[in-house]
Amino acid sequence: MAVDRKAAVFLAAHALRLLLALFFPSLPNLLTGRVEVSTPITSFKRLQEGLYLYQRNVSPYDGGVYHQAPILLPLFSLLPNANMSPLITAIFFSLVDLVNADALITIADSGQAVSGRFYTALRKHIRWDGLSIAAWFLFNPFTIATCLGRSTAVFTTTGILYAMSNAVSGNSLNAMLALGFASYLSIYPALLFIPLVLLCYDQRAQKPTPPGMASFAIKHFMIFLFSIAGLLGVSSLIVDDFPQFVSATYGFQLLVPDLTPNVGLWWYFFIEIFDSFREFFLGVFWLHLAAYVGGMTVRIRRQPLFVLTSLLGIFAIFKPYPSISDASLYFALLPLYRHLFPLMRYTFFAISAILYATLLGPAFYYLWIYAGSGNANFFYAITLVWSLGLSILLADIIFAALRDEWEYDNPEIRGKDVRQV
Amino acid sequence: MISLFYLFLLPLVALSSAIPATSDYHESLTLQPLPQSALLASFNFRSNASEESFDERNFRYFPRALGQILQHAHTKELHLRFTTGRWDDQSWGSRPWDGTKEGVTGVELWAWIDASDDEEASAKWITLTQSLSGLFCASINFIDSTRTTRPVASFQPTGDHSISNNLHLLHGTLPGEVVCTENLTPFLKLLPCKGKAGVASLLDGHKLFDASWQSMSVDFRPVCPHPDECVVQIEQTVDIVLDIDRSKRPRDNPIPRPVPNDQLVCDTSKAYHSDQTCYPLEKTKEKGWSLSEVFGRSVSGACPLGNDQNSHDETVCLRVPHEREVSISLGALEIKKPDGVSRCYELQPFRDFDLVIPEQDATTQVPLEEPVLRAERTIVGHGQERGGMRIIFDNPSDTNAADFIYFETLPWFLRPYVHTLQATVTGRDGVRQQVPASQFIKETYYRPAVDRERGTQLELALSIPAASTVTLTYDFEKAVLRYTEYPPDANRGFNVAPAVIKVNGRDAANGRSHPIYIRTTSLLLPLPTPDFSMPYNVIILTSTVIALAFGSIFNLLVRRFVTVEEAEALGAQTIKGRLAGKVVALRDRLKGKTSKVE
Repeated sequence: MAVDRKAAVFLAAHALRLLLALFFPSLPNLLTGRVEVSTPITSFKRLQEGLYLYQRNVSPYDGGVYHQAPILLPLFSLLPNANMSPLITAIFFSLVDLVNADALITIADSGQAVSGRFYTALRKHIRWDGLSIAAWFLFNPFTIATCLGRSTAVFTTTGILYAMSNAVSGNSLNAMLALGFASYLSIYPALLFIPLVLLCYDQRAQKPTPPGMASFAIKHFMIFLFSIAGLLGVSSLIVDDFPQFVSATYGFQLLVPDLTPNVGLWWYFFIEIFDSFREFFLGVFWLHLAAYVGGMTVRIRRQPLFVLTSLLGIFAIFKPYPSISDASLYFALLPLYRHLFPLMRYTFFAISAILYATLLGPAFYYLWIYAGSGNANFFYAITLVWSLGLSILLADIIFAALRDEWEYDNPEIRGKDVRQV
Repeated sequence: MISLFYLFLLPLVALSSAIPATSDYHESLTLQPLPQSALLASFNFRSNASEESFDERNFRYFPRALGQILQHAHTKELHLRFTTGRWDDQSWGSRPWDGTKEGVTGVELWAWIDASDDEEASAKWITLTQSLSGLFCASINFIDSTRTTRPVASFQPTGDHSISNNLHLLHGTLPGEVVCTENLTPFLKLLPCKGKAGVASLLDGHKLFDASWQSMSVDFRPVCPHPDECVVQIEQTVDIVLDIDRSKRPRDNPIPRPVPNDQLVCDTSKAYHSDQTCYPLEKTKEKGWSLSEVFGRSVSGACPLGNDQNSHDETVCLRVPHEREVSISLGALEIKKPDGVSRCYELQPFRDFDLVIPEQDATTQVPLEEPVLRAERTIVGHGQERGGMRIIFDNPSDTNAADFIYFETLPWFLRPYVHTLQATVTGRDGVRQQVPASQFIKETYYRPAVDRERGTQLELALSIPAASTVTLTYDFEKAVLRYTEYPPDANRGFNVAPAVIKVNGRDAANGRSHPIYIRTTSLLLPLPTPDFSMPYNVIILTSTVIALAFGSIFNLLVRRFVTVEEAEALGAQTIKGRLAGKVVALRDRLKGKTSKVE
């Protein structure tokens, strides 16, 4: 019965995507062109341009358009041209979404979100089953828009979700390989390494004869590095000029030279920043992004999966080229913590802010770019609201998680008003 | 005074006959009336210097200022163009000099530089552009790496270069440069007569830059008539299309007035014709004009350096049918050419020359040559995010296919998507059909842009079938720049350099194929702009949002939980808590007292 329900949800999600692509043939190209969906490092149109150059033996990295990983080039060379047969591409991206949903089910059904090695949530009976979470992910409009917009961020999502699903099922080797894949595609998942290795270790430690923490971490770090090195080695076979590829992809993601608008905070800041401070603030922004890893890992040591989820939320706000696909990944993982929802305080405000930004963002972008009746500040203000809404949601769920831990430690004061000092 | 000058000049003339004939100077002016009261005036100034004297820095007719720059930058061949306006090939026919002496709107510069490798060539190119910038009072120094390309097939050296040179072709454009008087003055200074005598004396900034279209060119190249005897040649041209009516207006009263009623020629056959209504007829008479009316001055004699003593230069040529009446100043000699449509004049030194064509009935016209190809390039689409480029090629020939090289450079902030390149072809029957672009494109050279480093370079070898119109389109995306990268008038848009089309000439008669160049108009690209007034606000607001997130999350992470009662107990022990407690107690006492009083 469970299999049938799963098949029904997956088929429905698949059918919905294909029907949208079939009945609105201009929708995929429209979404590909939206700045909320496609960023310079995930745009499908840029991928097509890179592919065009690659198939004509011109290095796609010797130019300012293509900044994605080289492994996508032979992969998409196998698929027929997306302009000739858009349906096959739509099916492919829809299948990737289903694969992601499958990984999500594994994560949810493992129950790691509610009970781990050190900790079991008090309200663990309040939870959704894996299929509901997968359905929540698959029918999220953000996910559907990302899928139809054929953003290559879905491959990074796959890498991250598989790393997490393998980690919760105790398959630490595969987890590291998957994280290596995600980091290879877009650098920032490498920051998830520490909480992920803790999650793997917690799984391993529950089995007999656990290895030492340090040796376990070092061993997995080596696997992680090895997987990245392997992928880079494959890449060097695909592209001729290796340093050029590194600077065009990783250099591009680190130095943020393309200031195309997106839903994040970086683009307008780096348009307006004074030239002499550009490098300094670039460093500050990256440092800020990395700063959360240590603090959260230490403070919420007992729930590494929660740390992973929250870090993904932080990346969705503060990474250089965020899109709604990053937000959709965070929203996909949030229902794992359904048991924390009763402890949250500002859900209405956060959800209102996110909805407000979602609805007004495209309108204000239109006013700026097409109608000319607004200026850049309109869209910038919306990205501020979006980031603010997400950070309130993020802070609120971290509060709920900490409070839940505190109540677990002090069962006698459950339900009382709390204060932080 | 004049005789005194002659005396001074005599030794010079004697000297000129003594040195080989390789050092000489020629100038000419060709005038051709065009339809719609336009007048094309083509000035040409050419001088040679032997290679030895050039290498020894022994300059005679060759301008020293330019020569030293060229030697310093190891430039073996140079072409510099200043152009404004648009050549209207629908009414004016094919271009003067087959388009080889005109440039893109603004400034165009290309040169062959002798250098051992690309980097050295680039360094010398920078030297060259910086020096030329100073010499011509133009912003040529703004031709940086983003505006420099190395065309592969569009340009060929026109000079005879020795094989030992390792030549690098570099090409740069400044489509937004406004060509004006300050560029004309140094241009004239390069001439041996400095614009004081000869046909160059006609060149006046007021008239020249009031023209419908004008192009100034400087070409420098080595020419070897015999294998062991080489000269360096500098050729300067000025081509202008003047509107005769406009040029004839007096400078103090330039506002056009309507034709007085009694001078109007009306079509009386129209039913509505009356004293009040008039359907004006086209004038059958050709307009009368004279050099002094059109240029505001007459030619102040031939340049005495130009004419060799023995040969006579036919300096001013006029292309009108022979039956047309033309009167000239005394002293000049008229020679009618056998082709029936042109006549030339020999000028005397130190005697003003004017040429007057009275208003007369036009019976025949000088036939205009049909252009071999028409090209039009426009930006399509709306919005500031993306757009499309549309290039229309029209082959007017009914028999021959047009083979040509299409060369365009795009600024880096315009990101073309070559995979969207599409072609449609329209025959004379007007049926449009979409065809793969590869049907017309024989070869492609594409070098994509790198942000802030170099622009896009696209060269296509195309073949357009006879009697058809081909439209090429591709999509592009517009980049958002840093706010310091926008010019002060950011919302005006950015200039995109015109495309250069090199048509392989069909002139098989002399065996040597000579190219014909066509340039499209320059384009204006509006980019999305940020708000320039609020860098501080943006920095502050973004930082606030980041600080809010960072602050709230780390606040949660570093603090510990206590119940409200515990918090109050804890709070009471701190200094702040104690102070607050005292304040509350004091307030209570005060309140208590006042209530007692009542």
